[in-house]
Amino acid sequence: MGDIFSNLSLGFGVVFQFVQWTPAFLGGTSIPIPVNILLCLIGALVGTLVGVLPGIGTIATVAMLLPITFGLPPVGALIMLAGIYYGAQYGGSTTSILVNIPGEAGSVVTALDGFQMAKQGRAGPALAIAAIGSFFAGCVATVLIAILGAPLTKLALAFGPAEYFSLMVLGLIFAVVLAKGSVLKAIAMIVLGLLLSMVGSDIETGASRMAFNIPELADGLGFATLAMGLFGFAEIIRNLDAGGESDRQLVQQKVSGLMPTARDLRDSAPAVGRGTVLGSILGILPGGGAVIASFAAYTLEKKISKTPQKFGRGAIQGVAAPESANNAAAQTSFIPLLTLGIPPNAVMALMVGAMTIHGIVPGPQVMQKQPDLVWGMIASMWVGNLMLLVINLPLVGIWVRLLRVPYRLMFPSIVIFCSIGIYSVNNAPTDVIIAGVFGLVGYWLIKHDFEPAPLLLGMVLGPLMEENLRRALLISRGDWSVFLTRPLSAVLMAIAAGLLVLTVLPTLRKKRDEVFVESEN
Amino acid sequence: MNATPGQAPVKSIMPKWVRNPQDFVGGIAMMGIAVFALWASSDLQGMRGFSFGAGTAPRMFATLLLGLGAAITAVGVLTEGQHLAKYHWRGPLFVTLSIVSFALTIRSMGMIFSALTSFLIAACGSPETRWMETVIVGVCLTAFCALLFPYALGLPLQLLPTFMIR
Repeated sequence: MGDIFSNLSLGFGVVFQFVQWTPAFLGGTSIPIPVNILLCLIGALVGTLVGVLPGIGTIATVAMLLPITFGLPPVGALIMLAGIYYGAQYGGSTTSILVNIPGEAGSVVTALDGFQMAKQGRAGPALAIAAIGSFFAGCVATVLIAILGAPLTKLALAFGPAEYFSLMVLGLIFAVVLAKGSVLKAIAMIVLGLLLSMVGSDIETGASRMAFNIPELADGLGFATLAMGLFGFAEIIRNLDAGGESDRQLVQQKVSGLMPTARDLRDSAPAVGRGTVLGSILGILPGGGAVIASFAAYTLEKKISKTPQKFGRGAIQGVAAPESANNAAAQTSFIPLLTLGIPPNAVMALMVGAMTIHGIVPGPQVMQKQPDLVWGMIASMWVGNLMLLVINLPLVGIWVRLLRVPYRLMFPSIVIFCSIGIYSVNNAPTDVIIAGVFGLVGYWLIKHDFEPAPLLLGMVLGPLMEENLRRALLISRGDWSVFLTRPLSAVLMAIAAGLLVLTVLPTLRKKRDEVFVESEN
Repeated sequence: MNATPGQAPVKSIMPKWVRNPQDFVGGIAMMGIAVFALWASSDLQGMRGFSFGAGTAPRMFATLLLGLGAAITAVGVLTEGQHLAKYHWRGPLFVTLSIVSFALTIRSMGMIFSALTSFLIAACGSPETRWMETVIVGVCLTAFCALLFPYALGLPLQLLPTFMIR
C-alpha cells in the first residue's frame, strides 16, 4: 500500500514539475512554468482537435501527431502523447454524437444513442455524460494501474525468453479473438506484420534481410512511416471514395444546456460503474482495448436494462456505459505495455514506436530504472482526464464549428501535414514515398475487408518475438518442447490454444459476431 | 464501403466457381507476398545446428503466410461472399501524386514550395474542390506549417529552395 502512494506521489511530482523560465526581457526575474502539465494540456487539445475531424480515428490521430513530440525530452514526449491519445478518444466521441460519423470502431456504439439524443436537442447532456463517465473511469483505471504495476513488474522479471514468446503468442491470439471479421484474415494480417518487421538487418548477424540494397531499408521499415501510410493516407483515400459531404448529417440545433439533469445522472451512474469495470478488465487483456470494451458495455446495458426498447432511441445509458468502458480500457491497456513491454493493441504499438524513437525499450527494466518516466506517465493520465473534463465541455462550441469544415479542404491539409511529419522523422524523402505506398496498400486491404490494426501489432511484436524465440531455443539447445515444459510458458500456450479453439467453435463465433452486429441494426 | 451483396449481379471477371471474390483475390495476394518474401530471403543463411540463421525467421513467417493465404483462397471458393469492391481512381491517383511530388521536391525546393504544390495536387482528388478557397487555405496552411515545424517544434526543415539560400 505504501508503495502505491510513494509511486503515485513520485508520478505527480514529475507531472507538477516546475521549470524556472528566465526571459531576458524581465531582467532576471524567473517565472515557474509547469512544463509537463502544459504539454499534457496541449496534447489533449491537439488530440481532440484532430480526433474530432470526421473519419479520423484514434490510431490515425496518434500516428499523425507523433512527429510533433520528437523534439521533446522523453518524459515530456510521452506525457504529451498520452494527452493526445485521450484527446483523440474524446474527440471521436464528440464526432459520433454530433455528426453520427464515428471516427473509429470504438465510438460506433456511442453514435447509436448519442446521435439520437443530439437529434432530440440533448447533445449537451450526451457530451457531458460522456466526459463525466470517462473521467470517472479514468480515475478508477489510474488507481488500478498503480496497484497492478508493481506486482506485474515483479512477475515480468521472472519471465525467461520462452515465457515472453508464449505471452506474445497469447497476446496476438487475443487480438485475433477480439477483432471483428474473419479470424483467418486477422491472423494473416498479423503474420504479414511480422514478415514486414523482418525487413532490415538481422539483430544477431547484421545480415541485410529483404532490403534489396536500398539504403533506406537497411534499418528496417520505419514504424511511424508505416502507421501513417496505413492509417493516415489510406483513410483519406477511402474517405474520398465515399464522396465527402454527401452523408454528413450534422446536428443543426444549437448545442445548449450542457448540464445533464439530476435524472440523467441517476440513470447513468450505474451504467458508468458497470462500464468502468468491464472496460478495465477488457483493457488489461492483451489484444483487448477500447473497441471491444465499448461494444461489450453497450450490449451488457441493453441486456440488463428494464427498458431495452429505449436503446437506439436516445437512452443516456447507451452513451454513458460505452464511453466509460472505452476510456477505462484505453487506460488499463497501458498496463501490459508498461509492465511487460508488450503492446496490447495498435495504439499501444504506436506508443512503443514513440518510446523507441526516444531510445526507451518498454518493459520491466524501465519500471525499475526510470520510475519517474513510468509513474509520471501514469499520473499524467489522470491529469489528462481532468483536462478533458475541464477543456472539452466549455469548448464544445469550437468543436462543433470544426465539424463544419468541409472535407474538400480538410483532406489536402492532412496529406501535407502527414508528409511533412514523415519527412521530419529522418529527413528522408524515401520515407514519404514508402508511406504513400503503404497508403495504397492500406486502401487495398480495406477494400478486401482486411483490418490493418493487427498488422501494426505484428509489426511491433515481430523483432521481439524473433529475439525471444531465438534465445529460448538457444538456451534449450534447439528443443522446441521448451515452450510446453516450462510451467508458466505452458499455461500461457494452453490459454492461447484454448482461446483459438473457442473462437473457431460455431456457437461462440455467433456470439462474437452478435456483439459487433449490434451496431448495425 | 463494400459493394452490397444484394445488388444486381455486377459484371464479374471472376469465374462462376469463385463464390467469394473478395476473399479469393485477397488470399491469392497474400500468397503472392509470401512467395515473394520466400524468394527475397532465399539468399540468407538458415539454421546452423540449433541456432537460428538470419533467414530462418523470415522464411518461417513467409511459409505461415503462404498457408494462411491458401486457406483464405479456399474460403473464397467454398463460401458465399461479397463481390469485389469498386475502386475509384481519382482520390488514390491525386493523393499519391501529391505525396510523390512532395518527396521529390522537398530536398531541392524547400518546404514552402513543396507543401503548397502538393496541397494543390491533392486538392484535385475531389470533384468538389473550389479553387479560390483551396488556394487561400493552402497558403494559410503552408504558412502555419512553416512556423510550426521549424520554429515551434525545432525540427530541422529547410523552408526555401536551395538556389535562393545560396
